[in-house]
Amino acid sequence: METIDQVFVLAKRSLMTWAQSFLPEWSTIILSILISVTAIAVFGPVTMMYLTLLERKLVGRIQNRYGPNRVGFWGLLQPIADGVKMLTKEDIVPTNADKFAHFLAPVVIVIPALLIFSVIPFGRGMIAVDLSIGILFFLALSSTTTIWIFVAAWASRNKFSLLGGMRSVAQMISYEIPMVLSIVPVLLVVGSFSTVTIVEAQSGWNWFVFTPWGVVGFLIFFLTGVAEVNRTPFDLAEGESEIVAGFHTEYSGMKFALFYMAEFMNTFSISAIVATMYLGGWQGPWLPSWVWFFIKTYALIFVMMWFRGTFPRLRVDQLMGFAWKFLLPLALVNLLVAGIWTNLSTPKNNIVSLIILVVTFNLLYWANRPEMPKKRTYRYAYADE
Amino acid sequence: MSFFGSLATVSFYAVLVGVLAVAILTVTTRNLFHAAIFLAFTLLGVALIYFFLHAEFLAGVQILLYVGAIMTLVIFAIMLTAKIGDPSMPQSNHQRLPAFVGLAILSFILIPAILKMPWKTEDAFQTTNAVQIGKALMGEFVFPFEVISLVLLVALIGAIVVSRSDQ
Amino acid sequence: MFGWGVIKGMLVTLKNFILSYFTKERLTTVQYPEERLPVKERFRNFPFLIYDNKPEDLRCVSCDICAKECPPKCITIVRDSDEQGKPLKRPKVFDIDFSICMNCGICEEVCPFDAIFMDHEFELAKFGRFEDLNYRKEDLLKPAEHFAKIRPQDAARIEAKRRAKAQPATPETKTQ
Repeated sequence: METIDQVFVLAKRSLMTWAQSFLPEWSTIILSILISVTAIAVFGPVTMMYLTLLERKLVGRIQNRYGPNRVGFWGLLQPIADGVKMLTKEDIVPTNADKFAHFLAPVVIVIPALLIFSVIPFGRGMIAVDLSIGILFFLALSSTTTIWIFVAAWASRNKFSLLGGMRSVAQMISYEIPMVLSIVPVLLVVGSFSTVTIVEAQSGWNWFVFTPWGVVGFLIFFLTGVAEVNRTPFDLAEGESEIVAGFHTEYSGMKFALFYMAEFMNTFSISAIVATMYLGGWQGPWLPSWVWFFIKTYALIFVMMWFRGTFPRLRVDQLMGFAWKFLLPLALVNLLVAGIWTNLSTPKNNIVSLIILVVTFNLLYWANRPEMPKKRTYRYAYADE
Repeated sequence: MSFFGSLATVSFYAVLVGVLAVAILTVTTRNLFHAAIFLAFTLLGVALIYFFLHAEFLAGVQILLYVGAIMTLVIFAIMLTAKIGDPSMPQSNHQRLPAFVGLAILSFILIPAILKMPWKTEDAFQTTNAVQIGKALMGEFVFPFEVISLVLLVALIGAIVVSRSDQ
Repeated sequence: MFGWGVIKGMLVTLKNFILSYFTKERLTTVQYPEERLPVKERFRNFPFLIYDNKPEDLRCVSCDICAKECPPKCITIVRDSDEQGKPLKRPKVFDIDFSICMNCGICEEVCPFDAIFMDHEFELAKFGRFEDLNYRKEDLLKPAEHFAKIRPQDAARIEAKRRAKAQPATPETKTQ
């Protein structure tokens, strides 16, 4: 079981010792970096391709139909067919569009999506770069995505794109704040930004999701993660029936494929980070660590796709109201509660934090109830006769 | 490891040249929107330099704040205030001579100052520790911290008041 | 409880997802072309000419009523004639153009000899527009057993009518 757990680390080590026999001294570090980077660069797009297939089949089953199952057994070659289709499509750039920005936006938007993969701990000892600022790196990169969506919208010179882009940017910056605030309790309890340290602090069965502030923090982080990736029910910016296609209306072929790839890689990396911070990363009994990690990540991805099959879209004012009026105060109170929890002793801290959280939740719910319209009375002109 | 050290130096200088090139593009391009994009790249390059100098926390914060928040603000400002019909308003400068004179004076003061400064660091560097920064902010520097947050609050309220239409 | 509606909705979808692997009502896809939906009896697509025992005994007498009644005029009929030129009660040429035929079934309704009926075949795509889509008499002939197989109720009714007409009329007692 130990070797299965470390199978990727051992494979890399044996590859390095084999390569060192005929390569000069200074190239070992470069080779080690190259192996990690190649593994991620292969894993990322392949994951994204098969995530698109998984989504289509899952949403199809929810909607009483098969997903794609023609192209290969069970539809497994469908992503390759999609890739070929997108590569061979004609690349149309509108005449009035800003050519430089139109070209640059899809290219640069994939970069943060790929870079986040380098701080995700896939298993015990399996992380590409153990940065001392792991989570800060993730937050920083996910906040750079907003500009490029806006550049894409502006460069298309299309009113629908601009509107979709502005809504998308507004949504992303409003949901970033509860996201950061729901990560901070974990940092408070662990005391370090590094993802490896965060996972190791949840050893055994004390995952952070089993604590009172952890439940709320997990829910807030997951919901804001879904909003950051622009997925249903928060996908007003790119809903197919709302606004043609939002900020990526004018993109065809490979550029659209890059946007699509960035969205799915972001889905995977947000699920992976939520699993790392709240669900214990690769901790778990009896199965190898990377198997646990993938089980947790794919469980969260399944929930995201389940959301997509179930809910209608939120309207833009409902979306923003949810972030600013509900999630932000709840995240602030959650931070306070996490501080209280750390400082009190064991039975008292759970009770006190539960009471504070339940009271806040109910208060916010009561404050955010939609107003019922007043009962209408009609007066007719000839009612007095 | 001497090859590796030289590889690091070469790549560091390459990144520096790259950042400098993008910065020159920022100030010389005629299209305002392109200038904003190049500014975002310049700030990302500065974050990369911070990574080279082992100041990882500062690099992360630089990307999070500058590229994530401030560049969004700059691009929104450009979009909302520029004349939308004409994308490439020529930003020609009729004041080249005064600009060069000012630049000459400034470099005359700054370059000897940079050359005379003792840049050597003998003690081993400590990587920035977020815990220490947090403790310093809440301990030694709590008063500036609270004043800054108050200033931000006042700026927010002022922006809302200024931009509200008279009703 | 707050959020209960959301959870109920998600449970409905989950039930649909899980049961779609087990029950047939929750996965109603028909995998064409490996399986086909059975068509109803009165489904009409393209006409065919009916013969009783041998292809030469076709019921059509080339009366030309179907060609006159056809709305887009897709039927072309030329009456056969023997060696002296006397016309016979048989068509020499009976062409229906599939690219013009609109599958309305009027030819079946007006035929007084029960000679032309609408078939159930719909997979009739061809590669050549002019050479392959013009159906000649030989392509249109199908046996009466085929008719009884695809449309049993109509076939039974028409066979009964034909048998009743074929029997000599019983002499009726005259009432004075």
